[in-house]
Amino acid sequence: MLLSSLLLIPFLGTAALLLWPGKPAPGQMRLITIVILVLQLLASLLVTLRFDPAQAGMQLQEFHVWLPGIGLDYALGVDGLSLPLVLINAALTLVSAVITRDIDKRPRIYFAMLVLISGAVNGAFLAENLLLFFLFYELELIPLWLLISVWGGANKAYAATKFLIFTAISGMLILGAFLGLALLTGSVDFSLTPVLSDRLAMGGQIVLLGALLVGFGIKIPLVPLHNWLPDAHTQASTPVSVLLAGVLLKLGTYGLLRFGLQLFPEAWAKLAPGLAIWAAISVLYGSLAAIAQTDMKRMVAFSSVGHMGYVLLAAAANTPVSLLGAVFQMVSHGLISALLFLLVGIVYRKTGTRDLKVLHGLLNPEKGLPLTGSMMIVAVMASAGLPGMAGFISEFLVFRGSIAQFPVATLLSMVGSGLTAVYFLLLVNRAFFGRLSITPSSDDPRNDARLDVQLAVVSPRETIPAMALVAGVVGLGLLPMSLSRLSDASLTAMALQAMGVS
Amino acid sequence: MPVISADLVVSQRSLEAEELTGQLLSGETLLSDTPDHVLEVVGVLESYGEVLDAYSKNLIYQGEQQFLNPFPLFKYLDGDLSPAKIWRHLNHDRINFEYAEYCMKAMLWHGTGGLDAYLDSEAFRENCNTIINCKRRRDPLLALLHPLFPGFLIEQIRNAATTHALGQFWRVMSDLFLDLAAAEADGRVRSIPAVVDFIKQGLVDAAGNPIHYGVEIAGQHFWVLPPEAGLTFLVDVAVPYVEAVFLRGMPFLGTVSFNAQAQQISPDQGRFTYGALYADPLPTMGAGIPPSLLMQDMYRHLPEPLHQWYLERTRGEGDVREKICRSFQKSMFCVTNAAINGTMPHPLSTTKPEEQAANRAYAAAWAERLALGRTDCLGR
Amino acid sequence: MGSALPLPLQLIWLIPVYGFSGMLLSLPWATGWVKRNGPRPAAYLNLLVTLLAVLHGSWVINTIYQIGPQHLDFPWFQSGDLNLRIGFDLSLTNLAALELVTTMSLVCQVYALGYLDKEWSLARFYALVGFFEGAMSGVVLSSNLFMSYFLLEMLTLSTYLLVGFWYAQPLVVTAARDAFLTKRVGDVLLLMGVVALSAFAGSMEFNDLYAWAADLKESAVLGPTAITLLGLGLIAGPMGKCAQFPMHLWLDEAMEGPNPASILRNSVVVTCGAIVLMKLMPIVQLSSLATDVLLAVGTISAIGGALVALAQVDLKRAFSYATTSYLGLVFIAIALQKPGLALLLLFAHGLARALQFMGVGSIIATSNCQDLTELGGIGTRMPATSLAFIIGSAGVVGLLPLGSFWCFGLLVNNFQQSDPWFAVVFLLTNLLSAVNVTRVYRSIFLGQPLPKTKRAPEVNWLMALPMVSLSVIVLLLPAIMQRLDPVPGIASFPLSVGLVVAASGAIGVLIGSLVPLNQFWSRSTTPWIRVIQDLLAYDFYTPEIYQRTVVSLVANLAQFTRWFDLNVIKGLADGVGRLSLATADGLKLSVSGQLQSYVLTVLLAIVLLLGVLQVGRGG
Repeated sequence: MLLSSLLLIPFLGTAALLLWPGKPAPGQMRLITIVILVLQLLASLLVTLRFDPAQAGMQLQEFHVWLPGIGLDYALGVDGLSLPLVLINAALTLVSAVITRDIDKRPRIYFAMLVLISGAVNGAFLAENLLLFFLFYELELIPLWLLISVWGGANKAYAATKFLIFTAISGMLILGAFLGLALLTGSVDFSLTPVLSDRLAMGGQIVLLGALLVGFGIKIPLVPLHNWLPDAHTQASTPVSVLLAGVLLKLGTYGLLRFGLQLFPEAWAKLAPGLAIWAAISVLYGSLAAIAQTDMKRMVAFSSVGHMGYVLLAAAANTPVSLLGAVFQMVSHGLISALLFLLVGIVYRKTGTRDLKVLHGLLNPEKGLPLTGSMMIVAVMASAGLPGMAGFISEFLVFRGSIAQFPVATLLSMVGSGLTAVYFLLLVNRAFFGRLSITPSSDDPRNDARLDVQLAVVSPRETIPAMALVAGVVGLGLLPMSLSRLSDASLTAMALQAMGVS
Repeated sequence: MPVISADLVVSQRSLEAEELTGQLLSGETLLSDTPDHVLEVVGVLESYGEVLDAYSKNLIYQGEQQFLNPFPLFKYLDGDLSPAKIWRHLNHDRINFEYAEYCMKAMLWHGTGGLDAYLDSEAFRENCNTIINCKRRRDPLLALLHPLFPGFLIEQIRNAATTHALGQFWRVMSDLFLDLAAAEADGRVRSIPAVVDFIKQGLVDAAGNPIHYGVEIAGQHFWVLPPEAGLTFLVDVAVPYVEAVFLRGMPFLGTVSFNAQAQQISPDQGRFTYGALYADPLPTMGAGIPPSLLMQDMYRHLPEPLHQWYLERTRGEGDVREKICRSFQKSMFCVTNAAINGTMPHPLSTTKPEEQAANRAYAAAWAERLALGRTDCLGR
Repeated sequence: MGSALPLPLQLIWLIPVYGFSGMLLSLPWATGWVKRNGPRPAAYLNLLVTLLAVLHGSWVINTIYQIGPQHLDFPWFQSGDLNLRIGFDLSLTNLAALELVTTMSLVCQVYALGYLDKEWSLARFYALVGFFEGAMSGVVLSSNLFMSYFLLEMLTLSTYLLVGFWYAQPLVVTAARDAFLTKRVGDVLLLMGVVALSAFAGSMEFNDLYAWAADLKESAVLGPTAITLLGLGLIAGPMGKCAQFPMHLWLDEAMEGPNPASILRNSVVVTCGAIVLMKLMPIVQLSSLATDVLLAVGTISAIGGALVALAQVDLKRAFSYATTSYLGLVFIAIALQKPGLALLLLFAHGLARALQFMGVGSIIATSNCQDLTELGGIGTRMPATSLAFIIGSAGVVGLLPLGSFWCFGLLVNNFQQSDPWFAVVFLLTNLLSAVNVTRVYRSIFLGQPLPKTKRAPEVNWLMALPMVSLSVIVLLLPAIMQRLDPVPGIASFPLSVGLVVAASGAIGVLIGSLVPLNQFWSRSTTPWIRVIQDLLAYDFYTPEIYQRTVVSLVANLAQFTRWFDLNVIKGLADGVGRLSLATADGLKLSVSGQLQSYVLTVLLAIVLLLGVLQVGRGG
């Protein structure tokens, strides 16, 4: 029942929010949401306590036959791969709810959707049945689409449509692969049993894996399937961006590991060299595209494209260390990108712009956003892989685990890691250093140098979640054993199993 | 939803030299006369007066009691070595006397006016030699250093002389500003013109005050700036002070690069525009902005009405020291205004054309320099 | 073995923690949480913890004298075959380097109290210096490559933050960024080496790596190309840290930062980089190409740096390039397998250079100016500063019997037979550096006072005291060096060599005193001299070369990617979008009814699913 509670709390919470009697104020709605999400976080922590890190396989399993005719079972389980992601989901959804402000339009629906997404994501991470996973994977789309298209920016219709089309294709490909599996093997066994050549010929395996790769590749996203992401981020509000980058992209990488690597180990081994190159291209492309951006949020979005590429590299290499690196990278990217989007969101709220050609000197202690700026420096340094923070150990594990397998792709990815510093320093030095200004320079430089800027203060509601994320980023960077302790056994087993069969 | 950035950016018109000349000649104040300005200027000058009181006492103490002390460990304690005072000092719960020294350094370094000329005179050199000879007999370190570095002690005495002179100058200014606050409190001063007049009167009254400085070494009294040098308050100290601190100033490490190849700093100190009337208040309290120390000191002595007034504006307590800086700049324009009025060659009411021309030339010369300053704070 | 060790050794992990805790202790003031009181308590707390670090270090040195070198490590991260540890190598040389780092940090912090007396962000400065010190003291003690890399990168970060200390100053905006990126290039290359070593050699302990490298010669696990690449990767990091050509640019940029940090950067930070190189040398030397590159880089940096220094009009930069030059000499010594001598030169240089930079800071504080053309005639008015400047310069130049003289003697003596050309490089560098210090001394202290030096009282005692103390240390340095390296002793070279070294210094001083000063900065009318002058004054146009090569390459690639993304990828995506919307339209769904179209797709999919499954079951 413990795992089911991770579904029940958010789903019942959604229902409660939708059916709450009367017309509660947005603030009240927010409070109720926070209570629900705190409960969910506590339940997730309880799962962590009950979880035995020494054991490799699925734990705390629950199984109920649901629709045997189509092979859909209610099968839940948690292992070292999914547990950290469940925790990240609980934490970041809570952050999203806390930083939500000024929801003047339909707060009831907004918060209900937020909680619904969290529940669906939990379901996807915990599902042990392919169809059950797919149901939850699809369930998260519509609320997210609503969150972008109703509460988004000026160009929200375009971005939301694009998001919808891309993810719908992603969903269809994944479903197609699952169905194809049933069709080709002639059974409706949708459990997580690896598909080996005694069940399915290599040709069939590769086709199915290919469909999954493209399907999950859209979600991650990998170049060239990434086009929906920058638009979705720029149009989404800050809490939604936090959720999207921090949690939802992980569904793609999680799917890749769980249903690509684990389900089709043989085909995976065949495709791995190509995947490693794909990863390197994704990393370099994301970093280079980020350098050329002048919108802070687009820059962070492209940096996500680059950083998620490391996970593919690690998955392709498929060694115990690289898979551990993949989990680390998912968690640290979740924390760091959430922090980055949160901080960019603060800047946007206070100044009304995210344009790097316009923003300067925000570190100004009295009139600027000094605390936001200081945390931004921490965040970009973490993202650039500076030691002492979560990004470094993650990247180190990924590279260390992959270099023997794919030296060229790994070295190219490291170049991408170096480029991260380039664009993020451009961001920090342009927006936060210099004399405070938030307007484009006019043709009267003397007057420009005399402009007084009035920015509202940043409220604790925004800074406290950011500080918590900073603490997480630094904590994970200094004490990485806290995470690897949870995941090590499962991932080692996973890599060994995959290597054993290939 | 985010606000449009144009609303967040405030800009006010800067004045041209002709306008400033006109205002000076017509007897109009540079700072526009509004009730808010009166509150700001009088309030900030009151806290400034309290801070200057402390600065002045300390500079005079340093000049007299810490004279040529190689390790002036307790120079900011004014001779009070009680544990409570030392603790407050360690906890930095104190006035930032470093800023007073900074102003002194600016005066010494720019070296204009009568005091500086006297420091280069033969009479000063002789006084110094007497003092050094006396001091050398008692202090073995100095006895050793002086023959090796004959320029060292005399430069230190120049330093001490400037310190003491600035202390005397600020004594007068502190009393004047506190009197101004009292005058405003009992209703004698109600407008900016009245404020400027009050300060002008104070300056004129003190103009002829003598400036002199002597030290005691082993019970013996020595003159450093003797009365016979004839140094006076207004021309020998106040004017160089205005030149060094209000107008020229020194480049801030936090906003100007000292890199020689970049050539951001003029080789001619006369062309410096880093002083109080020119400085940008926006980076106040940032890194490398020395006047932040003064703003902090004034913040700790802010009169309650002005504090309340600040709390109601922009970020309230969050950017209070930046707002103090803006008010301070306004009040410094008032003080400059008073000084110009007080030193005008002829009365403004004169009808003689040659006197009017002289006044006009004088006002224009000032206006030309002021026009480069932050005249946008004057509210016109 | 841990429990048997004396307490100061068991607590060795505290040494880097002192510095880092200084940073944490400063936070209440640095973040503005303490609002009514000033930031000085943060400075005092940092001084206190640094003093603790110095005392703890001396205690450890005493213990190590008695019981011999020790090695301690603590687990940090373990997974599969990867074992990352926090390791300390407590040898006398490492501990001497630690004392150098902590003492210099202490001295600089006292100095900064005077230099930055009007600085409201004092707490942030001390927090950064604490961080800096913690990272450096870890680097010098580190017994494994992973920890060294970890801390080196932290040094890069703290350099960035210290250079960016005056963040509102226009040149700092770009200088901090460029300083970080230049170092980062070296760091990423080093990371490649570290990752490769970790994967191939297994352990990250230096001793295990040496054993692995020794085996490698026989076992040939790695091909020659791989070994060469590994060697090049490993030297890139120290090259960046030691500001060697072509990665020397950051040190120039870093001069925009506060002077107390410049003191540390020019003395101990570069020393840390060189110490890491020393520890890596047994692996680097597997590749003869990497060793040759090291020698070439060292030579170019030594001579090129010294020449560029001569052409600078900026007081700080005249000496920062000289630092590059001396570290080039250290590189040569390391590449030629003389680590002991390299270490002595590092000590001699580090202390003397720091002293020189303290003098430079005093001049700037007094004159508000670092342009040599505007300084002059300070003469006898600033005793502590003059002494610091003269003693520091004498300590750097091999002429008077201070630190560098003995190092140059030993080095020239060692190389005169085996590598005579490098002996010449040492002498030439010494000569050029003597010219440089002499001409700078003349332009600051001699001649008539100029407007900005008309009033030049000596700096306050908080700056003067550290200068005087360090002057004494520099004067005593030969004795300390003798104690550090008693066999065969610092004077173990023939008189003739000593005379040659002294002669090179003397000739330099002579040239420096005779050449008219304005020739160093006023552009000559002779075209070819002018070309050379400009070439040197603008640092061989390195910034422009960077701009035209690496920077423009990355910028163009980025622009191309952006163009590609906007035109090709986005075009394709929009095409797919239009197609599917058109399909939806064909199904009589309005464009605004995307949700319906989506729900329809899902429904369709589910119907499909059920159908297929039925077929599947049937078949």
